Amino acid sequence: MVKPLFEIRDLFHAYQGKTALCVDHLVIPQSKITALVGPNGAGKSTFLRLLSFIEQPVRGKILYQGKTLRLFEPATRKIVLLPQEPYLLRRSVFDNVAYGLRIRGQKKGLRKRVYEALSLVGLAPGEFAQRPWYALSGGETQRVALASRLVLRPEVLLLDEPTSGVDAQSAFLIQKAIVEAQKLWGTNLIIATHDWDWVSEIADTWFYFAQQQVWEDIPLFIPGPWQKGPLFWVRPFRDGASLQLEAPRQDSSGLAVFSSKEIKIYLQKPDKNFNVLDFQIFKVSLNKKLGKIFVFLSREDISLVLESGAGLSLYPGQKVWLSFPERAQKWL
Amino acid sequence: MDYLLEGLIKALSLLLNRDPETLAAIQVTLKVTTYSMAASLLLGVPLGFGLGFFDFPGRKFLRTLANTLLSLPTVLIGLLVYALLSQQGPLGSLGLLFTPLAIAIGQTILALPIVVALTAATIESLDQKLRLTLLSLGANRRQLLLSILWEARYGLLMAAVTAYGRVLTEVGISLMVGGNIKWYTRTITTTIALETAKGNFALGVALGLVLLLLAFGVNFSLMYLRRKW
Repeated sequence: MVKPLFEIRDLFHAYQGKTALCVDHLVIPQSKITALVGPNGAGKSTFLRLLSFIEQPVRGKILYQGKTLRLFEPATRKIVLLPQEPYLLRRSVFDNVAYGLRIRGQKKGLRKRVYEALSLVGLAPGEFAQRPWYALSGGETQRVALASRLVLRPEVLLLDEPTSGVDAQSAFLIQKAIVEAQKLWGTNLIIATHDWDWVSEIADTWFYFAQQQVWEDIPLFIPGPWQKGPLFWVRPFRDGASLQLEAPRQDSSGLAVFSSKEIKIYLQKPDKNFNVLDFQIFKVSLNKKLGKIFVFLSREDISLVLESGAGLSLYPGQKVWLSFPERAQKWL
Repeated sequence: MDYLLEGLIKALSLLLNRDPETLAAIQVTLKVTTYSMAASLLLGVPLGFGLGFFDFPGRKFLRTLANTLLSLPTVLIGLLVYALLSQQGPLGSLGLLFTPLAIAIGQTILALPIVVALTAATIESLDQKLRLTLLSLGANRRQLLLSILWEARYGLLMAAVTAYGRVLTEVGISLMVGGNIKWYTRTITTTIALETAKGNFALGVALGLVLLLLAFGVNFSLMYLRRKW
């Protein structure tokens, strides 16, 4: 049986006593392009740093192909991270890309490999190799940083928000380069992003990050303020509408969680109107690979992402109705 | 003000005629400053790195201490080193008083806080992303350390240049623990002090210019080096 690429067990990580990530069990399969999507501060970057073994979790285990590794162990060199916000060393583009190979003592064919990596990210080696680190645009800097990782032909490439702060052209070239790397060297890609459209085109496995946890389905959060009764908690809205849920059984900070699958979406106001709220669509993202549509909706201060079959015709600006169950899947 | 022009002409003539006394003073100056710079860099860069890179209890206090020692007066250092190396002092038996080595020891004490404080400040001001970047590219402990120092090279160079300027121009230490012995411990600055006392202003100005020329030479070479990096 093929061992999973990563297996995570009872993981808990915190910074200065503040929970950064909590994962009970998670398996990331081999030979896939895995997307980790979710808002800022959900724990994605922490997760990638833990997967790269640069940081050790406070508690729990991360197994890479069945083994736990520690920082500075040679085996960790097969796992390469592209951190969020690229940072280039104070040297030329060539020396930046060559750095990883040099510290690995792989000096044979150095120039050829550096040039190959630069070409892969769409930077002409003749034009860029000798440029100093400061003479690059944001998108070029990100691509040099990516080339510095691709040149290592890693087994796993962890990408943290690779398209944040780059233009559409660079985002496209980055996508092309990493898919090419996967084809050429079988590099496993794990991409943390909030760019659903960009990652939809390539990812075949999805995990949703929110509230320092990982969710298999897209989670929907309804925050308070709640009018708390003994049996029901009611969330009033400014326009007079409200949502009534069974009171949580345990102590809760007042964040109701639903699974995307529990919510029905209607194009017209349904007859039954208990716990039915109108929302406005602000974005629709097609995921061809999964044959799904992600619908981004908002109402007052709440925004949600719903998964929908490709059957409904939905467009941004449209008003739709969502029907919520009487009971939240869980409360946080 | 004639002695300024006179001094300039004299400086050129001293250098062009290879005046043996001047050359000896230059030689002693270069010798002791090389010793003291080597010692203060060897000790100061690792100390400054540790102070700037690691977080440990008492770190802030040590940083403040290093910054305070930046204003250590040369006469006080001279006094301390004199007390240490004199016959009755704890290190008196080494017989180092009034030798070039004694000056070098004093100058090392002078330069060390500068190197430590400026190295620590340079390391602290490095981007937080640097460490993560180096680790993400697979650097081991030694490569991590060396790469961080390399990234900080301009700051370290500045620390060295500042410290060199201080040891090259100090006079208190050289005078007190060197003894201003002709051909042996007489440096450019102590010669200037002596010649001024003798009313020989032109020679003093001339030697002052030689000192500046020396400083220019060092800084110019470093500038060139920096451009090459």
